[in-house]
Amino acid sequence: MMFASARLVSLTALVMAASVAPRLSAHHSFAVHFVADRLITVQGTVEEFTFRNPHGVLVLDVKGEDGAVQQWKIETNSPNILRRRGWTETSIKSGDIVTVEGYPARDGSNFMRVYRVTYPDGRELVGQRPDPNVVSGDD
Amino acid sequence: MRHRISFAVVMFAACSAAAEAQPDLEGFWTPRIERARSGQALIDELPDGVVLINDTGAGELAAGDFAGLKLTPAAIEEVRRYDFGEELKRENTCNAPTSAFLMQAPFPMEVYASDELIVFKMEYFDLVRVVFLDGRPHPPDTAPHSKVGHSVGHWEGDALVVDTTHLTSGTFMNNGFNHSESLHMTERFRLSPDGSVLWLVQTYEDAAVFDGVAARYMAWTRRPGEYVYPYDCDPSYGE
Repeated sequence: MMFASARLVSLTALVMAASVAPRLSAHHSFAVHFVADRLITVQGTVEEFTFRNPHGVLVLDVKGEDGAVQQWKIETNSPNILRRRGWTETSIKSGDIVTVEGYPARDGSNFMRVYRVTYPDGRELVGQRPDPNVVSGDD
Repeated sequence: MRHRISFAVVMFAACSAAAEAQPDLEGFWTPRIERARSGQALIDELPDGVVLINDTGAGELAAGDFAGLKLTPAAIEEVRRYDFGEELKRENTCNAPTSAFLMQAPFPMEVYASDELIVFKMEYFDLVRVVFLDGRPHPPDTAPHSKVGHSVGHWEGDALVVDTTHLTSGTFMNNGFNHSESLHMTERFRLSPDGSVLWLVQTYEDAAVFDGVAARYMAWTRRPGEYVYPYDCDPSYGE
């Protein structure tokens, strides 16, 4: 009887474990969501820029060859890391025209992680560098 | 009376000397991203068969890459059912890792040390780890678990050895593979001879999700005068 109870408890636990959704235990992964070894480039007008952890977000209106505007969501690496490189909340402003190089989303959506933002006058803001293995600082 | 004072002075001097003999870990430390591991000697000390997880810093392992670890059937099933899309949602944006994935992140830390405590103030998610050096044991298994767990430590020569239990389940590689609440982590911290670099090798055992022993290597550079920024995670990033 005791063994039967124990087996029933074990079986119940197994069924419960199988039916419960997997634990969501992480802030999102760069490697899983973005293509690390390929850069794409978009140019457009800044709609919005927020600079808060875990990621800054740049919303960019990009005009296609057909004249239609597509909106891109472009995330930065952590603002804490970028502050130490000189970025601030006002580094990018609504209405700015910028060129952004970054790592494309694996799902092909208009979503990317920024490597570099370049202004028409040549000023640059550097985000996540392409190859961490050749970088000596923090990234 | 004079003998008593003399004895106290001698004991104080002896304790001070012992304390001074321990490496000074205090300060601000920023992660090093190294082409060649400056602390390779710590890795060389690992027993044969330990699986080294090479994902320290900004680099992360892709989905399905578990560094060669043999996952248990339960872990394989959990990984199979993991929904990465959920990670981008508002409610999961500020889901901090546990100490088993915290130290390898590319963020700095401040370290405070005394004879009884070592405190790691981590920039990543504003987490704070406290390591007790006063000889206390871990609490019973039934005690509450947390992101930073319960850590006790001691010095073995010039190495600080930290033993951590009571972690909540959390990501182990940030690719859908979680460690369990039973994970047992051991850490060996050591300073470079000139005191400018701090090395760490963590080893992990968690029979509920993988076989054998895994390890990670980390290194930091001391930067006097700098300090940890607030992280203040903002969930509005999520969708």
